[in-house]
This record gives sequence, C-alpha cells and structure tokens, in this order.
Amino acid sequence: MAVTGREGGANRQGFASQLARQQYSALAWARLRIFAHSLRSRRGGLDLSAGIMSYVMGLGIALGPSIALGIGAWFGVSRHHPLGLIAELWVVLGIWQFLSALAPALAGPSPEMNNLLRYPISFGSWVLLYLVYGLISPSSIIGALWCVAIWIGVGVAQANLLGWAALALAIFAMFNLLLSRAILAWVERWMAQRRTREILTAVFLFFALAVQVLNPALYQQNGKLPFGLKQSTISHVADKVKWVQGVFPPGLASASILRPAQGQTAAGAGALGALLLWMLGAGAVLTVRLHAESRGESLSEAPRAMAAGRRPAPRRWRALDFSGPLAAVFEKDLRYVLRSGPLLYALGTPPVMVFFFSMMYRQGLYSSVPRGDALPLGLAWAFLGLTRLVYNNLGMEGAGIQFYFLSPAPARTVVLGKNMLHLALFALEAAAICGMIVFRFGAPRGGIAVATIAWVLFAVPANFAAGNALSISMPYRTSLTRMKGEAGSLSNTLLSMFIQLSLLGIGAAVFIPFAAFGREWMATPVLLALAAVSIFVYWRILGNVDRMVENRRESLTLEVMKGR
Amino acid sequence: METPAIATRGLSRRFGDFTAVDQVSLHVARGQFFGFLGPNGAGKSTTIKMLTGLLAPTSGEIEVLGLDFAANPIEVKRQIGVVPEGLALFGRLTASEYLRFVGRMYGLDRATVNQRTEELLEFMNLANEPKKLVTDFSHGMQKKLALAAAVIHGPKVLFLDEPFEGVDALAAGALKAMLQRMIARGATIFLTSHVLEIVERLCSHVAIIHQGRLVANGSLEELRAGVALADDTSDEKLTLEQIFLRTVGGSEPSNEEALQELSWL
Repeated sequence: MAVTGREGGANRQGFASQLARQQYSALAWARLRIFAHSLRSRRGGLDLSAGIMSYVMGLGIALGPSIALGIGAWFGVSRHHPLGLIAELWVVLGIWQFLSALAPALAGPSPEMNNLLRYPISFGSWVLLYLVYGLISPSSIIGALWCVAIWIGVGVAQANLLGWAALALAIFAMFNLLLSRAILAWVERWMAQRRTREILTAVFLFFALAVQVLNPALYQQNGKLPFGLKQSTISHVADKVKWVQGVFPPGLASASILRPAQGQTAAGAGALGALLLWMLGAGAVLTVRLHAESRGESLSEAPRAMAAGRRPAPRRWRALDFSGPLAAVFEKDLRYVLRSGPLLYALGTPPVMVFFFSMMYRQGLYSSVPRGDALPLGLAWAFLGLTRLVYNNLGMEGAGIQFYFLSPAPARTVVLGKNMLHLALFALEAAAICGMIVFRFGAPRGGIAVATIAWVLFAVPANFAAGNALSISMPYRTSLTRMKGEAGSLSNTLLSMFIQLSLLGIGAAVFIPFAAFGREWMATPVLLALAAVSIFVYWRILGNVDRMVENRRESLTLEVMKGR
Repeated sequence: METPAIATRGLSRRFGDFTAVDQVSLHVARGQFFGFLGPNGAGKSTTIKMLTGLLAPTSGEIEVLGLDFAANPIEVKRQIGVVPEGLALFGRLTASEYLRFVGRMYGLDRATVNQRTEELLEFMNLANEPKKLVTDFSHGMQKKLALAAAVIHGPKVLFLDEPFEGVDALAAGALKAMLQRMIARGATIFLTSHVLEIVERLCSHVAIIHQGRLVANGSLEELRAGVALADDTSDEKLTLEQIFLRTVGGSEPSNEEALQELSWL
C-alpha cells in the first residue's frame, strides 16, 4: 500500500504540528469517553465516588505538610537557617521520587502509553505526552503543591526573593518531574517481565516493612540516640553530608534562593545554572529510554526460549495430595498464596505490626490503650491480612474462573475449599499474634480471653458469610504480582472494611457494658449466641452459593477474567 | 434409535435487544466429528458457551448424551471436556499442578490423576518445563495444556473452540491424530475453527451459523449438494471454503466490490 506524502511526512513533524494537535485532542476525547462509559453501571458510580473520596483525602493529607513546608521555608529564610530550606527540598525530592516509583507497582504502567506507538506519533509528541501523564500523577501534584508552598514561605519572609525563588523552584520541580519520569520509564522496563516485577515488588515490600521496623528503633527516649550513636559522630557525619549535598539539586536550589538574599547574585546564578544542568541531565536520561521505546523495543512478556533437556520436576505436596475437589481447591489456592508477593505481604503485615505496636507500647507510646484490649484488637487485625482473600475469593482466578463453570464440582464445594484455607490461614495468623501478645503483654485476664474467643467464633463465620456474598456480587480481578489498586475494587474494599469494623464494634458494644459493671463473664454467652447466629447465616449463604453464582455467571466471568 | 451426543431445540440467546443466537436446533450424532463454522460475530462462541454451561440460554433446550443440561448440569459436565475461548487456565500453577488440579476436580482418584498427568504432559511435549508457571507459557503451549486438561477425565463429548490457533505444525499433527483416535473409540467432537481446511479434513459433519441463525447443517456431501449452482458443470468437488462463501457470502459485498468502495486504498 502506498503511503501518501502527507501521512508519510507526519512522523517527521514536531510536537506542535497540526497532526500532533489532532492526536492530543483525540487522546483527550478517548479519555473522556472511557470515563463516561465507566459511569454507565451503578458500580462505576460507586467507584467514582470512592475515587473522589480518596483524592480528597489524599489532598487533605498533602495539604498539612505543605503548610508545614511553607512555614519552614519562611522560618529558614527569615532566620537565616539555610539547613531548614535544604532539608525541606530534600524531603520534597525524596517523596516525589518515592511516590512516582511506586506508581507502576500501585497501578501498573499506563496502557495508553504502551499502545500509542502504534500510531504515527512523532518522538517529540511521545515525550510530551509522557511528561503530561507525569504532570497529572499524584506524585507531581503533591510535589508541585509543596514547591508552591515553599515559594510562598520564601516570599513572605523576603518578598524580593520571589523572582529568584520562582525560577529556582520551577527548575527544581521540572528536574523532579523529569527524574521521576526517567525512573518510572526504567521501572516500567523492569516491570515488563514477571520475574523482575516480582523482584521489584519484593524489594518494595522489604523497604516498606523496614521503615516500620526503623520507626520504633529510631524512637528516642529520654534524649538517647538510637543504636547507641554518639552526638560527636553524628555532627561529624552531618558536616560531611552538608558539604556533599551542596552539589545536588536540593542544595543547589536552596543556594540559588539564599545566595542572592545575601547579595551573592553571581553565586546564586551559578547554583541556578548547575541546577539547570541537573535538569537537562535528567531529561537526557529520560530521552535515551524513551528513544529506545519509540524505536520498537519489546516490552512484552514473551517467554524465554525453552531450555534444551528436561529439568527435574518439583516435589509434590504429598500431605495435601488428597483426592476430591475440596482438597484440590485448598491446595491450588495455597499454592497461589505462596506464589504471590502481595498476598504474602498482606498476611505477614498484621503479626509484624502487632510486634511493632507492642514495642512502642513498651516504650510508652499508646499507653492510654488498656493492656486487656491487645488481644481482641490484635485478633481483629489478624483478619485484615485476609481481607482480599476472603472478600474477593474468586478475584485471583483470572481466566481460570471459567473452569469452575465447566467442572462438575458445585460452586459451593469450591467456596468451601477456599473458606477452609482462609480458616487455616486465620488460625496461623491468630496463633502468631496471640503468642506475640502473651509474650509482650503477658497473659490476658481470663474473662477477656474467653470473651475474645467467643467473639472470634462470631466474627469469623460472619466475615466468611459476608465475604462469600461480596465475592460473588462485587468481584474484581486481583493482581497476584503487583501491589496495586485494582479497577472496581474500591466499593468492595470499603464495604469489607465497614463490615469488619462493625463486627469489632458489635463485640465492643457487647463486652464494654458488662465490663463496666464488673460482669465480664456475662459477655461470653451473648457473644456465643451471636456466634450461633453467624454460623447459621454462613451455612445458609454457603447453601445458596450455587444459585448466586449461577445468577451472576456472566458478569462474574467478565469481571474476574478481564477486569474493568 | 440411539440418543444423539448433542441436541438443541430452539436455542436462543439475547443480550438486551441484540439476538446473538436465534432458534438454533442442532443434532450431533454420537461418534461424529462435527465442525461448527461461521463468520466473526455469527454466534459460534455464544453457542458453544451455552452448550458447555458457561452461558445460560435465554430460551431453548440443550441435551447432551440424552441428559437435559438444565436439569442435570453436574452429570453433563462429568461427560464433557471443553477447551473454551479463554482457555480457563490457572496461570500461577505449573502444567503438572494444573492437570492434577483438574483431574481431582473431576473426581479422579490420586493414582489415575498422577498417571494421566504424566502421560498427557509427555504426549503434549510439555514435560520439559516442570517448574515453569502456566502464565509464562507461550500461547501454543497454553493451548496444548488446555486440551490436555479437557481430556484428562476421558470425556465422551469434547468441545473445542479454535483448538489449533497458535499451535505449531508438529503439535497440530499430533493433536489431530489424538482427536481422530478419540473418534475411533466412540467419542464425539464439536469443533469450531476459522481454518476451513482443517475442518474439511477432520469433520464428517458441518453446521454453519450466520447472524445467529443456523444456515446450513449436514454432512459435507449434503452441503455440497445444497449449495451447488445449476450452472456448475465442473466435476470438481466444492471445497468447504467455497461452500462456506456461498452460504454466508451472499448477503455480504464481495471482496472485489468492497475494494472498489475503498478506492483510496
């Protein structure tokens, strides 16, 4: 097929050409249509409301630090404390880059960007679009907001610095944007393969847990320094760091704002120039990566060539090698959990967090919380790790969900097999948490221990009953390899959290009045009666699972197989 | 008279105002290798989904091996094997784990499951990658695995939706041989494929669906006789492709006409 001159030349046109403008407009239109179509269903509306709530909450969370950063900048400039401004800019850089690097792990690479190269998009347009996508990402919005806050703080402190500060902070923000996009481009490259994606997820999870460990470890009590460090050592290291950081963007941005304030305009301009070089460097790194992608570098998950020769077969789990569908589902789901970093992380977090809280409790934090509450709170927390498994128990099947409709095993059996695994996992979590609580806080009083056991007998079947109902009525496709917010998960997640909080609330509402009158033991029979009710409800829902699945067969398959 | 392997009466499926399958009545005898053809969007996959229990019909009846599907879904599912459009694989298992899982879901005992798993992996040439997860398999390997899973319980009726798509020539040859052996042993195979040469070579009977309606149904000879034009003087047998084009092509513009419309190409 011959390519006419006009279309053939399109690829050589710049990012501001007529064709490029048409492409931007088409992209914006497509985005708008996708958004409009997502609102067609009631679930889409629910997800939008939940999404708006998350954005408002996120903005609220970001606004607090921005006020603090503005005040900090004002204080640093008006009181001539350069370190304050430097520290703030390092914080901005760190959080901007951290949030940005997290983006593909949370939401996956933008499918649109991956598909755009099929069209005659010029390299300039491709880079521009990549940057625009970066501009509307949460990390950039938060980073830019904080830069504006710092600029206002500097301006309030010394109005004649507004111009310099605007220039320096704009270049600093642009550097951050380019650097974040460059990092993201590389992270996406690594995320394109399952194995590297899993390694990166594991690294991320490790750091996430390490931060939690460091928090109590670094907590200073009575003026003591962590890890037995001496003040003189820290001062020495700080001097070195102060000198070295001066050549990095936060140090340069700070110098380009503060030096002119001290009448050293040339030094300020020099720092600004160096900052500009950093920005261009980040831009160059990004361009190299995007250029490789625009030339057709494969980011597919195509499997490696099959190795010659036979490899040894993995060992079978003979202990679980029972016949029958119940055992088959149990074993299959257990293998899935063990092969999924995010699920293991979710399961591992509650005991680890209970351990950290217990450390902080012993150091005097949360001392207002009575010791006796540790057991019920810990066990409620144990269930949090199972939320995704219990409340979306078909979500991880992907295309495999079709098999359940093809096989002769009733859906009831499949769900029961899953619930059995969830019960076993809860038992493990609960045992670990109970052990930790007894070890760190001592054995709880008999009354509260018995009441807690009765509450667990009530809460577990209630959670499973609600989980089975929500799994069928509000499923979403679960990613087993990435920590990400799945499409369509918001309403399910909010409801499951509400149910779990309600179950905890019911337990508290039963226990606290009796405890207030010194009759703790009376809570147990009431909770046991509630347990009988919840077991009955669970059994009824389990009995209806086949009918519920049958009624939702098509949408269930669609939502779990394809996502939305 | 022997009950048919598959029989449908007035089978219909509507999605809102759109009727994907309209009053389809089929009759597939036991031991037949049955080809089910149609252009894209004609209703093939919808029909096969209804025949295998993946989709509920809006109206009509389905009988498999004399059993009413609606009344005996579990018993019917025990007797059939399916390679559906989406393959229905569990990506985070190895091939061996997946086959063992499927075998147990069909109620096979442990020894049988293990033995058949090993035999099927060898036959499908999938035994060399015991630790590889299904999600890392190529499309062709996934297809072979889906086919292995569909036959592990020895079904009497096999439904295959595009089974050879993405499968290499060597594997396709072995699969065809396996399917023909199953037919020789009395199994019934219901196959959809866009590769008409394969259907012509394998199938003894063919049905063609177009715009949701069954427009042809019978043995290849019956179809040839049905679409042969009066002015056909040639002794050459019509190929299935010619039959297909004559059956469903009438309402569509010919390729030449379409190309004339797209003059800018």
